[in-house]
Amino acid sequence: MDRQLTFRLPDGYDERRITGELENHHFIRKEESTAASFAIYDTFDWRLFHQSLVLHVSEGDLILYRLPELTVVQRAKITNPPVFAWDFPEGELKMLLAPIIEVRALMKLAEIHSQSTAYRILNQDEKTVVRFNYEETRSAHQPEAPILPDHLCVKPIKGYGKYYRKLVSRLVEMGCTTIRPDKIYFKALETVGKKPGEYSAKLRPQLDPDMRAAEATKVILRFLLKVIKSNEHGIKADLDTEFLHDFRVAIRRTRAALSQIKSVFPAETTDRFRRDFSLLGKLSNPLRDLDVYLLKEKVYKAMAPATFRGDIEPLFDFLRERRLKALEDVINGLDSEQYSEILKDWETFLNEPPDNALTASHADMPVIDLAQRRIYKKYRRVVKTGNRILGNAQDKQLHELRIECKKLRYLMEFFSSLFPNDKISILIKQLKKLQDNLGDFNDFRVQKEYLENIADEFPVTDQQSRRTILAMGSLIGTLDKESQIVKSSFSEIFTGFVSPSNRRLYVELFAVEKARTAL
Amino acid sequence: MKTLAIYSNKGGVGKTAAAVNLSFLAAQAGMKTLICDLDPQSSTTYYFRVKPKLKSRAKGFIKGGKRIAKSIKGTDYENLDLLPADLTHRNLASTFDKLKRPKQRLRRILDAVQNEYDLITLDCPPTISLLAENIFNAADYLLVPLIPTTLSVRSYEQLLSFFKKNKYDTDKVYAFFSMVDKRKKMHNEFMATVLQEFNGILQGSIPYLSHVEQMGIQREPVPVFAPKSMATKSYQDLWQEVNLTILT
Repeated sequence: MDRQLTFRLPDGYDERRITGELENHHFIRKEESTAASFAIYDTFDWRLFHQSLVLHVSEGDLILYRLPELTVVQRAKITNPPVFAWDFPEGELKMLLAPIIEVRALMKLAEIHSQSTAYRILNQDEKTVVRFNYEETRSAHQPEAPILPDHLCVKPIKGYGKYYRKLVSRLVEMGCTTIRPDKIYFKALETVGKKPGEYSAKLRPQLDPDMRAAEATKVILRFLLKVIKSNEHGIKADLDTEFLHDFRVAIRRTRAALSQIKSVFPAETTDRFRRDFSLLGKLSNPLRDLDVYLLKEKVYKAMAPATFRGDIEPLFDFLRERRLKALEDVINGLDSEQYSEILKDWETFLNEPPDNALTASHADMPVIDLAQRRIYKKYRRVVKTGNRILGNAQDKQLHELRIECKKLRYLMEFFSSLFPNDKISILIKQLKKLQDNLGDFNDFRVQKEYLENIADEFPVTDQQSRRTILAMGSLIGTLDKESQIVKSSFSEIFTGFVSPSNRRLYVELFAVEKARTAL
Repeated sequence: MKTLAIYSNKGGVGKTAAAVNLSFLAAQAGMKTLICDLDPQSSTTYYFRVKPKLKSRAKGFIKGGKRIAKSIKGTDYENLDLLPADLTHRNLASTFDKLKRPKQRLRRILDAVQNEYDLITLDCPPTISLLAENIFNAADYLLVPLIPTTLSVRSYEQLLSFFKKNKYDTDKVYAFFSMVDKRKKMHNEFMATVLQEFNGILQGSIPYLSHVEQMGIQREPVPVFAPKSMATKSYQDLWQEVNLTILT
């Protein structure tokens, strides 16, 4: 079937002129014109856009379109503007969106007012054979400026393609040009200063192998600073938990870069900012812990034995209350003079021209050499630490190994653009498997300890709170059991990580000449 | 997808009016709806201002498949498509008879388009021939308009006994009163008796109203040209009931 087309009018044409000229050839009936407005929604990190999806909210309707044709994928009725996937009405739209947006909040990005006048072309029987709309669009933010020039949307009717094609060729003859259907999406976002996909926390700085190590490190750090700054607003507004998560990861990566990319900056600079970012990281530890807990509310409730399921509720009420306080502390921290001073000094340092900066021993080294050296060394460390504890791993040792792996992961990500993509991707994937195992174990352990601490503080005043404590006890038991299960699979996963094929790849990419020949 | 046949073995009972208005209301409620005009008199097709001619003629219709999809026409209303009637429909029964599994032909024909629609309604000619059996097999439900008169109810009884005799499921047969004249004492008494005697009679009924007759002049569903009328209200109530008690 023919598809809907959008036409831009030739210069000098308006609604009256174009319909007037069409009337010479077609029997046209004008209908009422309707005003409508719709808003475009996406998450802060453009998850829908990355899946070629566009979500419109118009009054009580939620409509999901697919780019670039803007074909309707799903619709649903809503009573409140959408925020989280779990608030959506049950149905196909929810099933489609939930795995994409996960825990992220949907935000209204742009609002568009449109005025649309419907026209119908009729045949001798006065049957409608083609429809077209004359459309005017205005941005809600700048009501004066049209988002797109006025345009015609021509819609075919099933079984009457002949009339449709006739109208389309007539419009083309008149000088109308087609507009891509997704243009309105990009234009509407442009009017509010947004570019789809502009924010991403994924670290992919493009480095040149011959770049000075100090300069390359600054490129990485500038990217991370941008991530830190762009998440502040969402944390303060408490839009969703991912703002804080991205913010924290960027801070952790900054710290890792400062400690792991060694001797590219003067020692005192490195020391100072390492202290500063360690402080910034600690600032939000309590809030993140609570976020993790509350995000798992459903899982925990399912973990508790059936008889206690209702009794676990007060724990989460207690945690929610605590979270409010923790959020307040973070917001105060972000608003503090100390915070803005640290970031200001950091930015100044990152933007200093190279010749002004004091140099350090590795500053002028080509970044590729430093990258190889650091990654290979860290890899050896991970292998050594892991081998030592294989078979009889203590909790503390697993924790240490987890930290080493994290450093290795960050180093590989910082410098991934310097190595063949297919090969480094394999290594990162392999490492991630190990990290997931260590991470799961750590999560269970931390959550167990957290519960133990909470249990000490939880006010026991009545029968109910006593039962809640009991429920927490059973939860601690379950978490302990789960952590043991994860721990028992460590050996196998680590053996996969140190497999000969993986090792060869590390040597090939990162080992310097000596190590390579020694093989 | 559900298939609902508006069927009666008696003519002039308000089948086409019900098929057109109920299909229109279903489409308005957001269901992708296809109304199939199986009556060679092609009244439904006329109401929608479509030419009573299938692109693929009778042969194509009988073979079904893609040819059916090509014959479908968009109506003037959102979500509502029409499979027009064709004069050759008058021979459908005898044509089906010459083929294999002659009672399942219509079901096979509609299979080709069922994925595109939430609801397919069939406007059926008054017959109890082989075509009728095709309809009984293709439809999930039958909706029979009943005029509260002896003859109309008698033919309804005939239909039910035909169903029983030929082992069709009588549970899928529903009826509603059509062309009711509330001023006639006889109509009211009759309706009361019928409601007691038969299962599956809907509460909603369509009165005898001039707006329904005007459909032929307006060539539009009643809710379009007389949205505030009693006729529209009656069809809306009937649609609500059909949707809630039969389709869901």
